[in-house]
Amino acid sequence: MKPRYLTCHVYLAFARKSFQKQMQYRVANLAGLTTNFFFLLVQIFVYTAFYAARPGPQPLNLNDIITYFVLCQSFLMLMPLWGTRSEIANAIKDGSVALQLTKPVDFQTYWFADELGKACYYLLMRALPTFLLSSLFFKVTIPQQPASLMAFAVSMTLAIFMSTSITITVYGTAFWTLDATGIVGIAHSIITFFSGMLVPLALWPGWLAQIGGWLPFEGLVNIPFSIYLGKITGFAILMAIGKQLIWSVFFCAIGRIILNLGFSRLVIQGG
Amino acid sequence: MDTVIDVRALSKTFKVYHHRKGFLGSFANLFSRKHRLVQAVAQVSFTVKRGEIVGYLGPNGAGKSTTLKMLTGILVPSSGSVTVNGYIPHRQRKENAKRIGVVFGQRSHLWFDLPVQESFELLQRIYRIPQAQYHHNVEMFDELLSLGDFFQTPVRQLSLGQRMRADLAAALLHNPDVLFLDEPTVGLDVVAKARIRQFIQQINAERQVTVVLTTHDLDDVEKLCKRVILIDDARLRFDGELATLRRLLSTERLLIVDYAEVYSDISIPNAHMTYQEGTRVQYRFSPEEISTAALIKAILQKFKIVDISVQEPDIEELIKAVYEDNLLLNPPANFP
Repeated sequence: MKPRYLTCHVYLAFARKSFQKQMQYRVANLAGLTTNFFFLLVQIFVYTAFYAARPGPQPLNLNDIITYFVLCQSFLMLMPLWGTRSEIANAIKDGSVALQLTKPVDFQTYWFADELGKACYYLLMRALPTFLLSSLFFKVTIPQQPASLMAFAVSMTLAIFMSTSITITVYGTAFWTLDATGIVGIAHSIITFFSGMLVPLALWPGWLAQIGGWLPFEGLVNIPFSIYLGKITGFAILMAIGKQLIWSVFFCAIGRIILNLGFSRLVIQGG
Repeated sequence: MDTVIDVRALSKTFKVYHHRKGFLGSFANLFSRKHRLVQAVAQVSFTVKRGEIVGYLGPNGAGKSTTLKMLTGILVPSSGSVTVNGYIPHRQRKENAKRIGVVFGQRSHLWFDLPVQESFELLQRIYRIPQAQYHHNVEMFDELLSLGDFFQTPVRQLSLGQRMRADLAAALLHNPDVLFLDEPTVGLDVVAKARIRQFIQQINAERQVTVVLTTHDLDDVEKLCKRVILIDDARLRFDGELATLRRLLSTERLLIVDYAEVYSDISIPNAHMTYQEGTRVQYRFSPEEISTAALIKAILQKFKIVDISVQEPDIEELIKAVYEDNLLLNPPANFP
């Protein structure tokens, strides 16, 4: 028997190659950065106007809001279905994914590795520059306690895991629909809204925020960024991270089921 | 010689959904879909021994690719059995995958955005190819296929010929026992085709790699395959040596004569003139009615000639005859 770490090594290599692949598209990345910054300006101006029109105590002050949206734009490409659609997703659409079955690899892990490689790229080439650039122009809050930074790091990592699982699950439906575009569109709107990417959950009306709390998607944006802003503290952090963990495992499992069903359909019904 | 591939009474039936036409029809499709069953492969049996190169031939839609997909574990048979290297491909997918190489001419197995070398390195990891074997193979394939010219080029920028060469090499990096090739020369120019064929031959000779290939290019068959399996309309039509197929079908031959001058009557008993242009005349004859020697003798007795040649019909014609006449040829020699 070969040692187990070798298997892991394969998927690490996949992630690394996926990272390198993204590095080829530098101009596209620059264009993306500009777009991020442009939308950030719009969001900040809109909220500044709102806050000016309605002075008084708010669940999040203007500084918090600015920081929240800087984080949103920084991590945007790491959110489900925001990054470039992978070759793998397209391979499902055109049926050539069957060729993957001629290789001795686990398909979901392979796809996961590919997406995580891409995520690392976006972290380095989009999140970091967007954050640093924005900090030059706006007053961005930095957490003072190393503990809350740590908690944020853990929570954000889980958010990226969950995002990847959701991406795989949604694109995996292409086994049936042939073109996932419709489902991607619906999922995109639901996730973008309920994650808190447009409006932080703290500003939602109570009943809607309650629904948002039951849904998994606040784990992508609202939870990690609220931890960053110090709006979730103490034991509640553990609860929030626990929730992210459970939903991550859930989407991982759903993704596995979808891919397995998809492949068994493919091997019975053909491409 | 041991058996590498064993296919018994293999069948595959697909459900094909009927789509209603028109605006209302597309609504009706949402609620109920009628389907019919299409038999893609029916009761096909054959075995392949180690080191053979077998041409798996048939017209479009005959079931070639479907069979190949069942042999590589991409499709589950509806009935019958398949084993490759003793594994059942669709049940023992990973075990089977480690010992086979697959090239589908229409689609690349390489990573579109990565240079060829990086794709190879990924494959080294996937198949856990020891460093020494990897380097040995890359060197050898480079020598045979000149991979060096485009080793650092991303796959998406390769020409079709280069991509095929890269795909072939990639499929053989892990020293598979069996190589499945689905139309490996499709769309290639003459030089590229010759190169690919030579490579397949050499790999087969040196490594005893068993090769099953589907193709529409009959030059491929003539150059590579001693044995052919013909399927048409999902059924096995012929399994045996190419020469046998030719003998079975070629009841007629062509004799082309260049006469020294234009004669007024050039009819020869037992031979039908099929074509004349100046001094060049073509006859069709059947060796059962008149031997080639007797025919030539008869011509030489009456006329002066400059040149003479005998042609067998090419296999394209033969295969067309099989398809069109719906001949069920002799049952395959190794029928279980």
